[in-house]
Amino acid sequence: MKLGIVIEVVKNVFTKPMTVLFPFEKIEIPERNRGEHEFNIDTCISCGACARICPNLAIEMVEVPSELREKYPKTYPQVDLGKCCFCALCEDTCPKESIKLTTNFYFATFDKDDTILYPVKAE
Amino acid sequence: MTEINEQKVTGDFSMYFGPAHPGSGNFSIKCEMRGERVLKATADPGYLHRGFEKLMEYREPMQNAVLSDRVCVLEPLQWNLVHAEAVDYLMEYEVPERAKYIRVILAELSRIQSHFIWYAAMSLGTGFMTGFNIAIGYRDYILDVLNLITGGRVYPAGYICPGGVRKDLPEKAENKILELLPKIDYMRKFALKQNPAWLARFKEIGTLTKEEAIKFGAVGPILRGCGVESDVRRDDPYEIYDELEFDVPVMDDGDAYARFTVGMQEIEESMKIITQSIDRLPKGEVKTPNLKPRVQFQKAEGEIYIRNELSRGEGAFYMVATGQKTPYRVKIRGPSFTHMIPIIEHLLTDVAYADVPAIYWSMYQCPADVDR
Repeated sequence: MKLGIVIEVVKNVFTKPMTVLFPFEKIEIPERNRGEHEFNIDTCISCGACARICPNLAIEMVEVPSELREKYPKTYPQVDLGKCCFCALCEDTCPKESIKLTTNFYFATFDKDDTILYPVKAE
Repeated sequence: MTEINEQKVTGDFSMYFGPAHPGSGNFSIKCEMRGERVLKATADPGYLHRGFEKLMEYREPMQNAVLSDRVCVLEPLQWNLVHAEAVDYLMEYEVPERAKYIRVILAELSRIQSHFIWYAAMSLGTGFMTGFNIAIGYRDYILDVLNLITGGRVYPAGYICPGGVRKDLPEKAENKILELLPKIDYMRKFALKQNPAWLARFKEIGTLTKEEAIKFGAVGPILRGCGVESDVRRDDPYEIYDELEFDVPVMDDGDAYARFTVGMQEIEESMKIITQSIDRLPKGEVKTPNLKPRVQFQKAEGEIYIRNELSRGEGAFYMVATGQKTPYRVKIRGPSFTHMIPIIEHLLTDVAYADVPAIYWSMYQCPADVDR
């Protein structure tokens, strides 16, 4: 029994640690990880399927800022990350693959406005 | 003439175990104490009530699949599976064979990680921090694989959805799962070591007889720890369980240690199921043909009660569809409810207060599925 403990200790000295030195080192995030949304306004057809399927009503179809309204005249999805449960149903339902969930999961913020993902930002 | 004893015993007082106790979870037990002994215990649930049954009446089945994760945080994939089976029946979906295998593999992985949490919680409740850290560390290996497959470490967001699974297994996922098995086996053996401190805390503590277990409606490892061979996977097979070979571990002692040992032996059976499923994994589709992202009950009418063997025992969904978009009525039967209300009150009668955490955690409870 005592020898068993010694073997365990020696083994652990040479074992790779389970943790990494975050934020200097990062664990590789799998491709399917459901993180922040990436939206492509140019391919969006404004069908609103993403807003209808969202279980948390986190997606709202909104108009773009007035200076861009000539180029993008319809309504486009605006995601509230504070409400989002990251289920990726919007990604599944989008007929044009305009909305995708990326591997980025760094959302910590002090400003509530940072949690809103606008379809396009005015320059 | 009746004598009224007005003499007060100064050692009598009532004490709450939880919800602020570090080892209680979102659950509370009011203990009537005399000195160090618990005379009577009253369960006080309701700290985690979220009203799933009502919420599901306002959501479509695919949205409910996402919601079904949350019924029990510790075994989300298995709750996904019960919900998906209920919708499959009402919508008359033919689930592809490959999807059934993937469902079973993931449900068993979920069972193993849940059993690791059981060991971790029992260790934490009795002051054995090393056991807690090791179990949570080894659970993390499983969570990494779940993240690879479902996209979420803890919440799969309805990966097991009505009509199959949302996505096929990624490349090399089978190998990753097989590489996981030796690590799981190491942890299982570690948990089953005859540690004298562990035996002193759990052996002959919280003994439940076979008759009591049946009377109170115990299920899962709690019932099997009392000597009753009962497993929905064998008694009422679903998915592909009737094609697989596995044993149902049973112990006769009925104490906390027997319940826990049954749980750890189940890990070995789950490993057998995973190995067999990966060996036989067929190729093909993983979703019912023409499955739309929005599933609605508009053509479905009827009712169904589906039960599955979850980590904690028998969990079930009762669902009624009346041709509307959403289910007309949903009822969820959580396995922890009977364990945490009648059985815990029965077991915590005339015991030492120091044994309360040991008995409490040996019931393998999940406050989330008690309250729902």
